[in-house]
Amino acid sequence: MTTSIVVFLLVLTAGAGFFALNVQRLVRYLRIGLPENRTNDPGKRVENVLSIGIAQSKIFRDPIAGPMHAAIFWGFVVLTAGTIEILIQGVFNAFSYDALLPDPIYRFYAFSQDAFAVLVLGAIGFAMYRRLVLHPKRLEGDKLEHTDALIILSLIGGLMVTLLLTNAYAYLAGSTLVGPEKFASRITAQMLGRSVSNPALWSGVFWWGHVIILLVFLNYLPYSKHLHVVSSLINVYFSNTSGPGQKGVMRPMDLEAEVEQFGASDVDHLTWKNLLDGYSCTECGRCTAACPANITGKTLSPRKIVVNTRQRLMEKAPLETGDRMEFVHPRLVHGEGGDAGAATATQVVADRLLDTYITEEELWACTSCRACVQECPVSIDQLDIINQMRRYLVLSESRFPEEVQPAFESLERNGSPWAFSPGDRARWADGMDIPTMAELLERGERPDILFWVGCMGSFDDRAKKITVAFARILKACGINFAILGQEEHCHGDPARRMGNEYLYQMLAKDTIGTLDRYEVKTIVTSCPHCFHQIGNEFPDLGGNYEVIHHSTFIERLLEKNLVPLQSENGKRLTVAYHDSCYLGRYNDIYDAPRATLKRALPVVDIVEPKRSRDRGLCCGAGGGRMWMEERQGKRINVERTEELLATGADTIAVACPFCMTMISDGVKAAAADVPVLDIAEVVAGQLAS
Amino acid sequence: MPNILVFAETRGGALRKVAFETVSAARALVDANGGGQVHALCAVPSGGAGLAEQIGKHGADVVLTAENPGFANYAREAVAATVAARAKSGGYRAVLVSFSAQGRDLAPRLAAKLDAPVAADVTEIRIAGDSVVVKHPVYANKVIATLQLDGPLVVLSTRPGAFPVTETPRTATVELLAPASDPSAEKVVVKEMQEGGKGKIDLGEAPVIVAGGRGLKAPENFKLVEDLAAAFGNAAVGATRAVTDEGWRPHSDQIGQTGRQVSPQLYVAVGISGAIQHLAGMRSSKTIVAINKDKEAPIFKVADYGIVGDVLEVVPALTQAVREAKASG
Amino acid sequence: MKIAVCLKRTPDSESRFRIAGNGAAIDETGLKFDIDDFASYAVEVALQINEKQAPGETVAFAVGPDAVQETLRKAMSMGVDRAVQLKTDAPTYDGLAIAKALAAELKAGGFDLVFFGKHAFDTSGGIVGTATAELLGVACVTSASKLEIASGKGTARRELEGVAEIVEFSLPAVVTIDEGIARARYPSLKGIMAAKKKPLETKPAQLGQPRVTVKGMSLPPDRPPGRIVGEGVAAVPELVRLLRSEAKVL
Repeated sequence: MTTSIVVFLLVLTAGAGFFALNVQRLVRYLRIGLPENRTNDPGKRVENVLSIGIAQSKIFRDPIAGPMHAAIFWGFVVLTAGTIEILIQGVFNAFSYDALLPDPIYRFYAFSQDAFAVLVLGAIGFAMYRRLVLHPKRLEGDKLEHTDALIILSLIGGLMVTLLLTNAYAYLAGSTLVGPEKFASRITAQMLGRSVSNPALWSGVFWWGHVIILLVFLNYLPYSKHLHVVSSLINVYFSNTSGPGQKGVMRPMDLEAEVEQFGASDVDHLTWKNLLDGYSCTECGRCTAACPANITGKTLSPRKIVVNTRQRLMEKAPLETGDRMEFVHPRLVHGEGGDAGAATATQVVADRLLDTYITEEELWACTSCRACVQECPVSIDQLDIINQMRRYLVLSESRFPEEVQPAFESLERNGSPWAFSPGDRARWADGMDIPTMAELLERGERPDILFWVGCMGSFDDRAKKITVAFARILKACGINFAILGQEEHCHGDPARRMGNEYLYQMLAKDTIGTLDRYEVKTIVTSCPHCFHQIGNEFPDLGGNYEVIHHSTFIERLLEKNLVPLQSENGKRLTVAYHDSCYLGRYNDIYDAPRATLKRALPVVDIVEPKRSRDRGLCCGAGGGRMWMEERQGKRINVERTEELLATGADTIAVACPFCMTMISDGVKAAAADVPVLDIAEVVAGQLAS
Repeated sequence: MPNILVFAETRGGALRKVAFETVSAARALVDANGGGQVHALCAVPSGGAGLAEQIGKHGADVVLTAENPGFANYAREAVAATVAARAKSGGYRAVLVSFSAQGRDLAPRLAAKLDAPVAADVTEIRIAGDSVVVKHPVYANKVIATLQLDGPLVVLSTRPGAFPVTETPRTATVELLAPASDPSAEKVVVKEMQEGGKGKIDLGEAPVIVAGGRGLKAPENFKLVEDLAAAFGNAAVGATRAVTDEGWRPHSDQIGQTGRQVSPQLYVAVGISGAIQHLAGMRSSKTIVAINKDKEAPIFKVADYGIVGDVLEVVPALTQAVREAKASG
Repeated sequence: MKIAVCLKRTPDSESRFRIAGNGAAIDETGLKFDIDDFASYAVEVALQINEKQAPGETVAFAVGPDAVQETLRKAMSMGVDRAVQLKTDAPTYDGLAIAKALAAELKAGGFDLVFFGKHAFDTSGGIVGTATAELLGVACVTSASKLEIASGKGTARRELEGVAEIVEFSLPAVVTIDEGIARARYPSLKGIMAAKKKPLETKPAQLGQPRVTVKGMSLPPDRPPGRIVGEGVAAVPELVRLLRSEAKVL
């Protein structure tokens, strides 16, 4: 054994060993979080890893940074083979895959190494240029600095350069292992010139340089946002944000449990998966760039929520695990400047994620639109953390914006988030001859479908028109339907979105009781929030019904030609359709409303606003924000309406009563003369009389 | 032939309108029951005799004046003691006070001191043999309760504005009463009287509210709302969320789901469309008037009276008309 | 401080009411009940005083049938320490009778302050609080819209018509609470869980024979559907006439 082999083995052991200890430490930190089971449906999980992780599907949503990152990532995967070859050379210094592979395959492999080295180097160069010269907005903000990124880019650049130089000098030293497939290495050799003295020595130097940089890079990862290199594929595997299961369903909660607190105020009340999300965040900022609150000047930044979670974990976990390897301070965990980051252990114990890092203001600014979750390339669930902290605020500390309290109280007393008399609930149906479930039961009859109206549709004067329009369509098509009438009350979704799980479960369970008493199987509703709640979240409480949103239902009726429409109306309408978050990102319903418009209106152009479909900008009312005041920045609905009006459309179409209110307000604020109509109203307006 | 003792409310030595209402109510009641005496008691710092003519105009036979500098403000314990002492001695069927701020404090004290059944905020009174039967709006005026009070002496407080002020003049005799306890030795001492709260009437107190919405088009036009409120005299100014969000009015003026919930006698909605969040704040107003240029506006569904028109034209005309109506009494 | 809060269980103020079959009560089917609004402000004021001037004890009292226990638990979920139910079978409009029952119970309690709501949504009389104070023989401030307590003395603000009265008094005292003084806190789930274990005592209420009874309940005549009086400035005189003669608000 030569000295160099011994030294190499020592260095490798030290480097790899230190890294392994760090990984072990980080895994131990995850255990201070609550347990949860993420082992179901491994088939779907693997599918996500392949498409989101390996194929980089979400990364490519950015047309410039997408290919750039994919090049680096795929480059790394391919170059790993070469790395292994190099490490084996540390012991068997003449080793090459040439000895193992058939010649054409080996040459293809050798070419791939050089090709990707060049590709990666080019991508790195562009990445540095982009970050330092172009200053994309989403790479700024949240008190993040560029140091971490620049270190990593430099290290990767260094790896590529040392790789090429090792090969170049080897070639100059007469090595047979640098064939013409290693074109880049040969070009490098040419650039170095033939009059280099002792090229073999230099090859060795750069070989060692490569190994050292590799080990430095490896051990830098746990202290950097590039930890995602290790954790992201694992994170995608264990994530539920693209399935398995229904998207956007809030966590079930056992309120009978003897727990010290409800919801999460600190990292030890989040689950290990939330903490793993913290490790996997690359600070790319795509989530924050898509966040309607952040766009309009609120303090909420989904990225910051995740970065703070990691920072707090790195601060608290060492104390909780009694970790003696701890010398990680939030400063080293890239990003946080002076403010947070406790100086003493006592301070660490006194601090917590809530208030010290993440403020109430940020948590309440969220509209639960899911744009952040949609964008995240490593499948982080920012919304889950926000929701768990909202639950803590409401259930454990009764802290929430004061204007929310009347909504909670009204839900409790009136079964509706607005102070209206429950007796008025079915007044919209006066004179329309629509039976209630109770009336039908008395006659021994049963409807084919229950029309769930919702509180907006029952009480809000503008939304009542949508209800009436849809009821007219149902009647015109001869659908055998009924309503609950005064037996309908809120299913509790607003309470749930605002963190009041206790009030939610009371209302939801009671609703399930009513629905089951009438043996309801199929429900149609004109509100996406009712649709999502009853169809997707009720099953966790034992309520299982088939729920259809009215846009889908109308589309089906139109497809079957069941809707008696007027033949022609001649006018060419330009319609901008505003995607509802709870139909779109939550339930992938983008086409049905558009198809309905096209079928119902004989002559129509559908124009898309700048941010449309799964990139659609929220109207601002979700997440319970319908009941809260906007006190900072620009109004979200104004921002979205401006975008819709900029399409030049002469009509705006919506499929949600909340969107209807917000966009209508936005149109008034812009003093524009553009009507805002629900899909049902558009179709009802076309009914043959 | 029942006799009734009325507490005639004064402030700073002057009689208030509610005093005339209660005296008139007492007069009507005794006259409906074969006649009887109405005695009115007032507690003033001085010059009680001078009030006799005013009180007599509305039907009081005897004016009892308790005079003491300590009655410059409402000396609740002394007033209660004095009225109770007189009631005990005088052979009265009922003691009447107004359901004013003062009366709400006084009536329960009298009931306790006299160990007499009491009903507050009544809108009708009838004597039926050994009982007194009254009507009293309950559940925020959503239900009318008919109550029976059994006892030789009852205490009642009348709802302001429910009993008309009538004139059945006579010359009232004046009797000077000694206060039954020292008004300067109260457990609750009045330190200060402050005019009009913050200089304007609070939305929760105002009997009339004039509220403006986006239909006013510009913040300067809110002057029209203020002028109309001023014409009513006792009105507060409110606003919808739309205009407080725009910064035209302070958030404290906002009426609605996330603002103030109010139930005045009269609510005038100017340029307000009637979104659900706003309605949640004012629906229980007794009378609602809406002025809006859109005849389909939801506000017209809850309004008792509506004018469809340009608020910038209608409101000044209404202000002028209200001023004239108020001036003519 | 030792503070007592007397509360009442009343139906939600947004309800539509129907008259029961016997014509002398409202039909309670489908109604939701909770602490009366003004009483809930009183609870809040009591809790705030004891939070600022700890240590202290807040005790809730209610006169009524067993259904009122839920209301007392709600008060405890807000933070009240213990509760006492003075049990009676039927609610009554005889405010003085209730006051006597409460005064008998409160007399020996050694309370520095006793709070009531200024009136209750259902009976709307505002009798019980002030009558109880009179029976206890202590200072009484009716309808306080602001309150400060310090060193055995209190300062309160009372809204009169168009003016406000600032009063001072010494403890012990009874104060009935007006709105605007505080917003009743929303109980946290933690509070709701804790309330289940707090002490709730039941005793019979010494009401005696009520002398105020309900002879009947009726609904006021229906609000006639609103109407558009006219268009533009021309409609103003008619509007004023209607406000004057019909609505009687002018």
